[in-house]
Amino acid sequence: MEIFPETGCIARLAIVIALGASLAAFGVTRIVAQEKTSEASARKMAEGKALFQARCGYCHLAGGTGTLMLGRRLGKDKALLASRTDLSAEYIKKITRVGINSMPPHTRIEVPDSELDLIAAYLTRPESERGASEPKADSLPGSEPIRE
Amino acid sequence: MSIVLPPNVSERSFQKALDAFAGVVGKQWVLATDEDRHTYMDIYAAGDADRHVPSAAVGPQSPEEVQAIIRIANEHKVPLWPISRGKNLGYGAAAPCMSGTVVLDLGRMKRILEVNERFGYCLIEPGVGFFDLFNYLQANKIPLWMSVPANAWGSVVGNALERGYGYTPYGDNTSHICGMEVVLANGEMVRTGTGAMSNSPCWQLFKYGYGPAWDQLFVQSNFGVVTKMGLWLMPEPEATLGLAMQLQEPDDVGWAVDELAPLRLNGVLLQSPSIGNSLRIAASQSQRTQWYDGDGAMPDDVLRQVLQKFGLGWWNIDLWLYGYDDVNEAHARIIKNAFAKHSKQEFKVTKWHRGEPIANSGAGVPSTNALQIVNWRGGRGGHLGFSPVMPPTSEHVLKQFHSTKKRYEEIGVDYYGSFTLMERYTTNVNLMVYDQNDSAMTAKVRALFKVLVADAAKEGYSEYRTHLSYMDDVALTFDYNNHALLRLNETVKDALDPNGILAPGKQGIWPRTYRSEKT
Repeated sequence: MEIFPETGCIARLAIVIALGASLAAFGVTRIVAQEKTSEASARKMAEGKALFQARCGYCHLAGGTGTLMLGRRLGKDKALLASRTDLSAEYIKKITRVGINSMPPHTRIEVPDSELDLIAAYLTRPESERGASEPKADSLPGSEPIRE
Repeated sequence: MSIVLPPNVSERSFQKALDAFAGVVGKQWVLATDEDRHTYMDIYAAGDADRHVPSAAVGPQSPEEVQAIIRIANEHKVPLWPISRGKNLGYGAAAPCMSGTVVLDLGRMKRILEVNERFGYCLIEPGVGFFDLFNYLQANKIPLWMSVPANAWGSVVGNALERGYGYTPYGDNTSHICGMEVVLANGEMVRTGTGAMSNSPCWQLFKYGYGPAWDQLFVQSNFGVVTKMGLWLMPEPEATLGLAMQLQEPDDVGWAVDELAPLRLNGVLLQSPSIGNSLRIAASQSQRTQWYDGDGAMPDDVLRQVLQKFGLGWWNIDLWLYGYDDVNEAHARIIKNAFAKHSKQEFKVTKWHRGEPIANSGAGVPSTNALQIVNWRGGRGGHLGFSPVMPPTSEHVLKQFHSTKKRYEEIGVDYYGSFTLMERYTTNVNLMVYDQNDSAMTAKVRALFKVLVADAAKEGYSEYRTHLSYMDDVALTFDYNNHALLRLNETVKDALDPNGILAPGKQGIWPRTYRSEKT
């Protein structure tokens, strides 16, 4: 029994739905066999995105606790990890393992190294692979207002 | 970070055990680097993470692999600390009670083996998280609702095994366990209830089986490793009706408990309402430095400013009614009339009917947003929970509230408490939120915890669950007949686990092998 506040039902549901969709997509992408290089790259990116949503989305999708905390600490423009361009793959992998501030470390059973590589590749994808309509921390349905 | 080996185990024996584990699960799933050990430490420790340092972790994928690991552990006398997903946050997370213990991480065992819509149950493995099961129910349009705790990052099985709670009428998760598969400390596999028959269609329907019922002996215990659990799920109701109310004065919690407890007992309220102070909401939406930067507990007049800013009461209540619309309306009237005797304030009402978006209902929807509270003090956030159980009366509740708040103020920690009403008891959860990097602050928290355990014991109140560092303290408060219950637990432990390889120290139960490690 815990005494936390009930927070943002709609935000919670948005995250859960995204996680569910990502898990389903992940199941599909895993059974890919031989592909051409560009297709393989796109596949890898899609797999990384699905894994990011499945493993990190609990907190790091719009409206999630990590997004809200980052918004408070660093500002809204740095709140949503998937929209950031200032993180290196090595940094992402290290922070996942050792934690930072209120983010706890993650074990290699929760996020195996092979998955973390794909997640880091997705989060550090080049500009050419980022869509114009990518989410912003304060624009997606489910974002909760940062009341400060 | 140097490795801490289990007591009385040589480096050579330990390495042999790890090699043998790798032979079962594959090298990839034996985690023994410094970084690995760090990831299994208590992520919210109040300055005492070094008391609970794992030596390694091993991750099986099947009950058979669990059996093989346990046999190896016996051979090499290497103790194991089973975890489901390791998110027992505020109670030690994934860390073992005794340093040197190898974490048996069941996170890879995440099969949803059955969901039965007709009879309302699931059969799942320990690695299944609340999000996983929720997604499965949603994706398959199964009209069964889960009971979900405030922080839903963890395991469904793990939460039920630790006696966690959710907010629906099925909120007492442990009481909805029906049938388990368990690997004992000698590697033997048993199934409880009618699962002990090889062909029973009632394993998840009938809890008791024949003779002693064992499910609860594997809850908050170290007598076996649960590899499958049956858990009842709630049929989706026709409607839900939410009632939210603010109580403006600290002592209002007394009359609120006296009004609600009989309604919880007679079934007007099927769900267990929580009456929580405003800090839990303020902490999820702001940081302390915005309001106050002093060393001691936040003064009451500052707290009043916080309430005003966020439009909160001193206490805040959320009640939910589940069932048929007409019945919910009738029950809502009864509750409103009871409160009208004390307050002119109106309840905020939220109605939901089947077919409408579930987000607006009283269903359990998983989220981790509650974890924002650990950011209250900034830095590397953490929290610890002290949760005594007492009769649901104003006399008990007011005395406990004032005594606890006074202790928080004396030691200099911000008061953060709630009372959750079950049919015949209330659980008073008190959180201590801190910055793990501030050693002076965490020292205060540890001191406060010890005092609160002692104070509660004087009143005859036990904790319903506690952190690793206080398991012995709380176990010792069960002192009837010179701790006869602890001796019984130890007798059972020694009989089932003569080498003491399963979770030494869990809930204060130490096997003979490690009894000298007791704190």
